[in-house]
Amino acid sequence: MSALYRQVVEDNYSYITETPINPAAMLAQAHDPSAGAIVLFSGETRNLSRGKEVNYLFYEAHPSMASKMVADILKDARERWSLSIAIAQHRIGKVSVMESAVVVITASAHRSEAYAANRYIIDRIKHEAPIWKCEYFADGTSEWGGNCNCVSITGDPNKHVYESLNPSVVE
Amino acid sequence: MKIESYAVARDYFGRSLEIDEPVADVASLRRLLEQKNPAAASLLKKTRFAVGDEFIDDHFQLNPADHVSIIPPSSGG
Repeated sequence: MSALYRQVVEDNYSYITETPINPAAMLAQAHDPSAGAIVLFSGETRNLSRGKEVNYLFYEAHPSMASKMVADILKDARERWSLSIAIAQHRIGKVSVMESAVVVITASAHRSEAYAANRYIIDRIKHEAPIWKCEYFADGTSEWGGNCNCVSITGDPNKHVYESLNPSVVE
Repeated sequence: MKIESYAVARDYFGRSLEIDEPVADVASLRRLLEQKNPAAASLLKKTRFAVGDEFIDDHFQLNPADHVSIIPPSSGG
Protein backbone atom coordinates (compact mmCIF):
# COMPACT_ATOMS: atom_id res chain seq x y z
CA MET A 1 0.00 0.00 0.00
CA SER A 2 2.83 2.36 0.80
CA ALA A 3 4.33 2.34 -2.71
CA LEU A 4 0.93 2.62 -4.34
CA TYR A 5 -0.01 5.44 -2.00
CA ARG A 6 3.07 7.47 -2.91
CA GLN A 7 2.58 6.93 -6.61
CA VAL A 8 -1.10 7.76 -6.73
CA VAL A 9 -1.51 10.39 -4.04
CA GLU A 10 1.75 12.20 -3.45
CA ASP A 11 3.24 12.37 -6.93
CA ASN A 12 0.09 13.55 -8.66
CA TYR A 13 -1.29 15.80 -5.99
CA SER A 14 -2.70 19.17 -6.90
CA TYR A 15 -1.32 21.34 -4.15
CA ILE A 16 -3.32 24.37 -5.25
CA THR A 17 -6.98 23.83 -6.03
CA GLU A 18 -10.03 25.87 -6.94
CA THR A 19 -12.44 23.15 -5.85
CA PRO A 20 -13.53 22.83 -2.21
CA ILE A 21 -11.15 20.79 -0.06
CA ASN A 22 -12.62 17.75 1.64
CA PRO A 23 -10.44 17.08 4.72
CA ALA A 24 -12.23 13.83 5.54
CA ALA A 25 -11.62 12.47 2.04
CA MET A 26 -7.96 13.47 2.24
CA LEU A 27 -7.64 11.76 5.60
CA ALA A 28 -9.30 8.64 4.25
CA GLN A 29 -6.40 8.28 1.79
CA ALA A 30 -3.73 9.03 4.37
CA HIS A 31 -2.92 5.68 5.89
CA ASP A 32 0.32 3.79 5.74
CA PRO A 33 1.46 0.54 7.33
CA SER A 34 4.52 2.27 8.83
CA ALA A 35 2.51 5.10 10.39
CA GLY A 36 1.40 4.92 14.00
CA ALA A 37 0.44 8.60 14.06
CA ILE A 38 -1.53 10.69 11.58
CA VAL A 39 -1.92 14.45 12.14
CA LEU A 40 -4.36 16.54 10.12
CA PHE A 41 -4.41 20.34 10.24
CA SER A 42 -7.24 22.23 8.60
CA GLY A 43 -6.94 26.01 8.36
CA GLU A 44 -10.48 27.32 8.05
CA THR A 45 -12.18 30.63 7.43
CA ARG A 46 -13.45 32.07 10.72
CA ASN A 47 -16.27 34.56 11.10
CA LEU A 48 -14.26 37.28 12.89
CA SER A 49 -11.07 39.12 11.94
CA ARG A 50 -9.69 42.46 13.17
CA GLY A 51 -12.86 42.78 15.24
CA LYS A 52 -15.07 42.66 12.15
CA GLU A 53 -17.52 40.07 10.92
CA VAL A 54 -16.09 38.14 7.97
CA ASN A 55 -18.30 37.05 5.09
CA TYR A 56 -15.66 35.04 3.23
CA LEU A 57 -12.02 34.99 2.19
CA PHE A 58 -10.71 35.15 -1.34
CA TYR A 59 -7.36 33.47 -2.00
CA GLU A 60 -5.08 34.20 -4.89
CA ALA A 61 -1.85 32.41 -5.78
CA HIS A 62 0.98 32.44 -8.26
CA PRO A 63 -0.11 28.91 -9.13
CA SER A 64 3.04 27.40 -10.64
CA MET A 65 5.34 28.90 -7.99
CA ALA A 66 3.03 28.05 -5.11
CA SER A 67 2.59 24.50 -6.32
CA LYS A 68 6.33 23.96 -6.71
CA MET A 69 7.02 25.50 -3.32
CA VAL A 70 4.48 23.35 -1.49
CA ALA A 71 5.99 20.28 -3.17
CA ASP A 72 9.48 21.37 -2.04
CA ILE A 73 8.33 22.03 1.55
CA LEU A 74 6.68 18.61 1.75
CA LYS A 75 9.79 16.91 0.39
CA ASP A 76 11.95 18.76 2.92
CA ALA A 77 9.65 17.77 5.82
CA ARG A 78 9.44 14.17 4.61
CA GLU A 79 13.23 13.93 4.73
CA ARG A 80 13.73 15.83 8.01
CA TRP A 81 11.30 13.71 10.01
CA SER A 82 11.36 10.46 7.95
CA LEU A 83 7.61 10.77 7.40
CA SER A 84 5.48 8.03 5.94
CA ILE A 85 3.11 10.60 4.47
CA ALA A 86 3.22 14.35 3.90
CA ILE A 87 0.47 15.94 1.84
CA ALA A 88 -1.01 19.42 1.65
CA GLN A 89 -3.58 21.24 -0.38
CA HIS A 90 -4.36 24.97 -0.48
CA ARG A 91 -7.55 26.36 -1.90
CA ILE A 92 -7.74 29.45 -4.09
CA GLY A 93 -10.82 31.53 -4.89
CA LYS A 94 -13.68 32.18 -2.51
CA VAL A 95 -13.59 30.23 0.78
CA SER A 96 -16.63 30.57 3.04
CA VAL A 97 -16.70 30.51 6.84
CA MET A 98 -16.02 26.98 8.22
CA GLU A 99 -14.55 25.80 4.89
CA SER A 100 -10.94 24.61 4.66
CA ALA A 101 -8.49 27.00 3.05
CA VAL A 102 -5.59 24.63 3.62
CA VAL A 103 -5.11 21.07 4.82
CA VAL A 104 -1.83 19.46 5.86
CA ILE A 105 -1.57 15.77 6.71
CA THR A 106 1.54 14.16 8.13
CA ALA A 107 2.10 10.59 9.19
CA SER A 108 5.01 8.98 10.97
CA ALA A 109 5.83 6.02 13.17
CA HIS A 110 5.31 8.07 16.35
CA ARG A 111 3.31 11.22 17.08
CA SER A 112 6.05 13.72 17.92
CA GLU A 113 7.45 13.68 14.38
CA ALA A 114 4.01 13.94 12.78
CA TYR A 115 3.07 16.92 15.00
CA ALA A 116 6.39 18.73 14.50
CA ALA A 117 6.43 18.19 10.76
CA ASN A 118 2.83 19.29 10.38
CA ARG A 119 3.52 22.56 12.18
CA TYR A 120 6.68 23.12 10.15
CA ILE A 121 4.84 22.57 6.87
CA ILE A 122 1.97 24.95 7.64
CA ASP A 123 4.39 27.61 8.95
CA ARG A 124 6.44 27.50 5.78
CA ILE A 125 3.36 27.52 3.53
CA LYS A 126 2.01 30.57 5.36
CA HIS A 127 5.29 32.50 5.28
CA GLU A 128 6.81 31.50 1.97
CA ALA A 129 4.30 30.26 -0.58
CA PRO A 130 3.07 32.97 -2.98
CA ILE A 131 -0.52 32.74 -1.77
CA TRP A 132 -2.56 35.68 -0.50
CA LYS A 133 -5.88 36.13 1.23
CA CYS A 134 -8.28 39.01 0.87
CA GLU A 135 -10.80 39.33 3.69
CA TYR A 136 -14.32 40.34 2.70
CA PHE A 137 -16.22 41.78 5.64
CA ALA A 138 -19.94 41.94 6.35
CA ASP A 139 -19.76 45.75 6.30
CA GLY A 140 -18.90 45.65 2.59
CA THR A 141 -15.19 46.45 2.99
CA SER A 142 -12.31 44.19 1.99
CA GLU A 143 -8.65 44.01 2.87
CA TRP A 144 -5.59 42.01 1.83
CA GLY A 145 -4.60 40.54 5.11
CA GLY A 146 -2.54 38.66 7.63
CA ASN A 147 0.74 39.26 5.87
CA CYS A 148 4.01 37.63 6.75
CA ASN A 149 6.01 40.37 8.48
CA CYS A 150 9.28 38.50 9.04
CA VAL A 151 11.19 41.19 7.15
CA SER A 152 10.80 43.45 10.21
CA ILE A 153 12.90 40.89 12.15
CA THR A 154 15.20 39.48 9.47
CA GLY A 155 15.64 42.60 7.31
CA ASP A 156 15.33 40.43 4.20
CA PRO A 157 11.99 39.63 2.50
CA ASN A 158 13.44 36.26 1.49
CA LYS A 159 14.28 35.25 5.08
CA HIS A 160 11.66 34.03 7.54
CA VAL A 161 11.27 33.14 11.19
CA TYR A 162 9.18 30.09 12.02
CA GLU A 163 7.17 29.64 15.21
CA SER A 164 7.74 25.92 15.02
CA LEU A 165 11.51 26.33 15.13
CA ASN A 166 11.59 29.46 17.35
CA PRO A 167 8.79 29.13 19.93
CA SER A 168 9.75 32.43 21.61
CA VAL A 169 9.05 34.51 18.51
CA VAL A 170 5.51 35.79 18.39
CA GLU A 171 4.05 36.50 14.96
CA MET B 1 10.81 44.07 -19.24
CA LYS B 2 7.46 42.57 -18.39
CA ILE B 3 6.36 42.87 -14.76
CA GLU B 4 3.38 41.04 -13.34
CA SER B 5 1.92 41.87 -9.95
CA TYR B 6 -0.16 39.87 -7.53
CA ALA B 7 -2.57 40.50 -4.68
CA VAL B 8 -2.09 43.88 -2.96
CA ALA B 9 0.66 44.90 -5.41
CA ARG B 10 -1.98 45.11 -8.13
CA ASP B 11 -3.59 48.00 -6.23
CA TYR B 12 -0.40 49.96 -6.91
CA PHE B 13 0.87 48.70 -10.27
CA GLY B 14 -2.07 47.04 -12.00
CA ARG B 15 -2.00 43.44 -13.17
CA SER B 16 0.99 43.90 -15.42
CA LEU B 17 3.27 46.64 -16.65
CA GLU B 18 6.05 47.02 -19.17
CA ILE B 19 9.27 48.72 -18.11
CA ASP B 20 11.46 50.32 -20.75
CA GLU B 21 14.00 51.90 -18.43
CA PRO B 22 17.21 49.92 -18.03
CA VAL B 23 17.30 48.15 -14.66
CA ALA B 24 20.43 46.22 -13.78
CA ASP B 25 19.28 44.32 -10.74
CA VAL B 26 16.40 43.81 -8.34
CA ALA B 27 17.52 46.64 -6.07
CA SER B 28 17.25 49.13 -8.94
CA LEU B 29 13.90 47.68 -10.02
CA ARG B 30 12.66 48.24 -6.48
CA ARG B 31 13.81 51.89 -6.67
CA LEU B 32 12.24 52.40 -10.10
CA LEU B 33 8.90 51.00 -8.95
CA GLU B 34 9.01 53.27 -5.92
CA GLN B 35 9.56 56.27 -8.23
CA LYS B 36 6.61 55.17 -10.35
CA ASN B 37 4.35 54.95 -7.30
CA PRO B 38 5.77 56.44 -4.07
CA ALA B 39 2.70 55.20 -2.16
CA ALA B 40 4.04 51.66 -2.66
CA ALA B 41 7.30 52.40 -0.81
CA SER B 42 6.55 50.45 2.35
CA LEU B 43 5.11 47.52 0.41
CA LEU B 44 8.15 47.40 -1.88
CA LYS B 45 10.48 47.07 1.12
CA LYS B 46 8.67 43.86 2.10
CA THR B 47 8.21 42.53 -1.41
CA ARG B 48 9.96 39.54 -2.96
CA PHE B 49 10.59 39.23 -6.67
CA ALA B 50 10.66 36.21 -8.94
CA VAL B 51 11.85 35.49 -12.45
CA GLY B 52 9.92 32.64 -13.98
CA ASP B 53 9.13 30.38 -11.04
CA GLU B 54 12.21 31.24 -8.95
CA PHE B 55 12.61 33.81 -6.19
CA ILE B 56 15.52 36.16 -6.78
CA ASP B 57 17.51 38.31 -4.35
CA ASP B 58 18.42 42.00 -4.55
CA HIS B 59 21.68 41.29 -6.39
CA PHE B 60 20.11 39.26 -9.17
CA GLN B 61 21.13 40.66 -12.57
CA LEU B 62 18.00 41.29 -14.61
CA ASN B 63 17.73 40.79 -18.33
CA PRO B 64 15.27 42.86 -20.46
CA ALA B 65 13.69 39.59 -21.63
CA ASP B 66 13.00 38.43 -18.06
CA HIS B 67 9.45 37.90 -16.93
CA VAL B 68 9.40 39.37 -13.41
CA SER B 69 6.73 38.80 -10.74
CA ILE B 70 6.12 41.15 -7.82
CA ILE B 71 5.41 38.87 -4.85
CA PRO B 72 3.96 40.73 -1.83
CA PRO B 73 4.42 39.15 1.63
CA SER B 74 2.56 35.83 1.81
CA SER B 75 -0.78 35.61 3.58
CA GLY B 76 -1.86 32.08 2.82
CA GLY B 77 -3.21 29.57 5.31
